[in-house]
Amino acid sequence: MKEARRYKSGLIPSLNPLGFNVERWSYTLHRATGVILIGYLAAHIFETFQLGAGSAAWANTMAALHSLGPFEMVGLWVVAGSALYHGANGIRLILNEMFGKLMGKPILPVYPYSPTSLGRNQRVAVWTITGTVLALWVWAGFYLLAGLGIV
Amino acid sequence: MDKLTLKVTRTDGGHVSYGLRYRKGMTVLDALTEIREKLDSTLGYRHSCRMGICGSCGMTIDGIPRLACQTQISSLNKDTISVEPLHNMTVVKDLVVDISAFFRLHASMKPYLIRKDIEERDHSEREYRVLPEEVSKFLQFDYCIMCSLCYAACPTAALDPMYTGPQAITQAYRYIADPRDEGWKQRIDLLDSSHGVWRCHAAGACSFVCPKDVDPAKAIQMARMEVLKRQLLRRGGRAGAQLVPPPSPGAAKQGAKPPPFDMGQGSVKNQ
Repeated sequence: MKEARRYKSGLIPSLNPLGFNVERWSYTLHRATGVILIGYLAAHIFETFQLGAGSAAWANTMAALHSLGPFEMVGLWVVAGSALYHGANGIRLILNEMFGKLMGKPILPVYPYSPTSLGRNQRVAVWTITGTVLALWVWAGFYLLAGLGIV
Repeated sequence: MDKLTLKVTRTDGGHVSYGLRYRKGMTVLDALTEIREKLDSTLGYRHSCRMGICGSCGMTIDGIPRLACQTQISSLNKDTISVEPLHNMTVVKDLVVDISAFFRLHASMKPYLIRKDIEERDHSEREYRVLPEEVSKFLQFDYCIMCSLCYAACPTAALDPMYTGPQAITQAYRYIADPRDEGWKQRIDLLDSSHGVWRCHAAGACSFVCPKDVDPAKAIQMARMEVLKRQLLRRGGRAGAQLVPPPSPGAAKQGAKPPPFDMGQGSVKNQ
């Protein structure tokens, strides 16, 4: 018997964090940056693989990349931001998931409820990661613009 | 706010807007009841206790899974409120979802005390000793009302229909942490699987929507550490608490110590 369709289930709803807690936004960003990094890794492997096809193939690949103009640098900037966020948030998730850190201990719930797993420690970690990554990302942007000779 | 519009998703996927007059203290459940009584008797929704105990009136209100009876319209700060069925579940009618799959997941985790000696458990004249500090390790997870809001909010459950889900894992952990329980081996196969504790990605949405502060996100991470520890150290089949004679009626008068926390005051949290 065919199973009935579940309401608003699947990839798109799973990535929608609107109205939810900041950790749920982190979840969506972590997934999105992970996909960007996988895409970059695939492209990078393809690019370096061209070395084996001879110097002409390598030169063609480089020429194709450089023909993108400023979009090449924008792409690298997005990859840099993704790597920074995915790495930093990954450390928080390892602390959460493997060591149970930042989650708090079992308590007796008292109204108004405030789950300790989403408490102050967790929020400080999330916002520290976000702030640090943003600062480093801006710095990376300047670094890449300097590479283009713009700043 | 005088007038109020409820935009309700019906079975066919279409939306119907109902205009109401706002009353002070009105909850979303009050509004739905008024719609059914005065505007549209065909509207389907489920409710029972009207006081956040039964967990029947779970629905997606303004994009977030909530109990309709516990959601004050004034707290939403909107004139137009969207009301949908819970996500990740099949719709029976309008706002009524089929929770049988959710309950099957709950049952799969054997949410009851398991003892190796059934005779001892069922027909004993003595009792198991559980210290108050041991109770405090699982009591929070015992307050679950099985409203399924956590399951509806979980992004992993949205992707994986086989995922055990935050509620079931929390209940499994509630019994794993209970010193009387000896059912580790009966729960571990499901917990330590690709659809078990390892599937959670710590989005925390389950704890965010939980109306009873059961904090499933915390329980899942604790269950995960317990699985890791017991599987690595091969300490799965530990012996449960032993039977002890009941306290004699005069024990309290002879200076027996009171429990370290007062369950009525919630002093564990305040310590």
